[in-house]
Amino acid sequence: MDTNAKPIANPSVVLREEFDDCAVLFDPDTGEGYAVNPTGVFCWKRFDGRHTLAEITAELRAACEDAPAEAEQNVQEFSEELAGKGLIGFEVQ
Amino acid sequence: MKVMSTPRSLELAITNRCNLRCSYCYHFGSADDVDRDLPTAEWLQFFAELKECAVLDVTLAGGEPFLREDLRELVAGIVANRMRFSFLSNGTLITDELAAFLRNTGRCQGVQVSIDGEAPAVHDAARGRGSFDRAIAGLKALQRNGLPALVRVTIHKHNVHHLAKIARLLLEEYELPSFGTNAASYLGLCRLNANDLQLNAAERSLAMETLLELDRKYPGRIQATAGPLAEARMWLEMERARQTNAPATSGQGCLASCGGVFNKMAVRADGVMTPCGQLPHIELGRINRDSLRDVWQHHPELQRLRDRQAIPLTEFAYCRGCEYVAWCRGNCPALAYTLTGDDANPSPDACLKRFLEDGGRLPSER
Ligand code: SF4
Ligand code: SF4
Repeated sequence: MDTNAKPIANPSVVLREEFDDCAVLFDPDTGEGYAVNPTGVFCWKRFDGRHTLAEITAELRAACEDAPAEAEQNVQEFSEELAGKGLIGFEVQ
Repeated sequence: MKVMSTPRSLELAITNRCNLRCSYCYHFGSADDVDRDLPTAEWLQFFAELKECAVLDVTLAGGEPFLREDLRELVAGIVANRMRFSFLSNGTLITDELAAFLRNTGRCQGVQVSIDGEAPAVHDAARGRGSFDRAIAGLKALQRNGLPALVRVTIHKHNVHHLAKIARLLLEEYELPSFGTNAASYLGLCRLNANDLQLNAAERSLAMETLLELDRKYPGRIQATAGPLAEARMWLEMERARQTNAPATSGQGCLASCGGVFNKMAVRADGVMTPCGQLPHIELGRINRDSLRDVWQHHPELQRLRDRQAIPLTEFAYCRGCEYVAWCRGNCPALAYTLTGDDANPSPDACLKRFLEDGGRLPSER
């Protein structure tokens, strides 16, 4: 996926942060939930159609010292997975 | 146990009114029976707070929720605030037009309709003349419009001998995937009519035996979280544990049966927040005045109900020496309250020791 792509959250989807280390993305139209970890929550909050994947990865690296080397790939895979479930789209340039 | 930042679900009594007066109604004759309904704007304001709290779904109850004249506006408010919804209804007011409207929102998880008999005489005995035909018409409207119809059969003295016929009607004739069961419980109006309605030990034994038999005939299609079928399953497990001296699993031996206070809350028709629709006397605050998040996280009464699950059953004189004490979970706090005056007791209603002392029989296992 293009690292300049700008993911945008499906406005119907609910982010529910249940505990410190556990959250769920809930699609009220399908009733399906998708568990996300704190890194996923960090990304989700930046899926606003203004941040590129590259920028989100850079912010993630800045925010957590022990971000793994493959963070960029993880962010890409995460957004691809959410896009496949209809939970995000991409801002058209 | 860790507590979530906000409840996942709420049960909302959107009206105090009902077109029926069922003799075992849990609503009327309890603290849930208040003198007014909230205006539309109050509910819509609260739905916006539910969105902010990331509540996932609401159950609309009453009274009879389909009596709300502004129902469509309320449903639109729920949808706009990204929630799903379901109803607890007597079924008598459901038309094709209403069912189609609910289906078209794409967010309705289902409508629970009460059907207590296979024929008018049986159903109407506790719910009033004419209610069976109208409830069946409502059920068919739901089915025609492709909405999940979740039928609930409340078991009492007047239908306990009809369970096989009721199952045949619902599962064969109406081809429902499943239905749920419970029993007329010592709540609300049922407290005034208990002798005429509630099952005695012999009738309870019969209901358990029959429901397990029907469960074998219709595998997985009869459900229960309370009432004779749930008790049969729970008590047989306790009896097996006693015979094999099985190690206790999490929560067994304590007042741990109620998990509701970890996931959900309720609101009465007058806007008062309560821990559960069955504990309407515990007032936690008022919507649009008190913060839901704050009440959920900090109210001492909710905390007390959550801490209840650490109370060992051996603290109660009646339970001490009971051969099931290591595997019992103490049962529903709402019934403990109505039967003993204190929710921090085990409920005598689903006490296996008492059931056996009263001459009850555990069903045979096959
Ligand atoms: S049980 Fe339900 S239908 Fe019957 S009177 Fe009570 S609220 Fe109305
Ligand atoms: S006396 Fe009843 S409530 Fe107490 S432990 Fe025994 S079965 Fe459970």
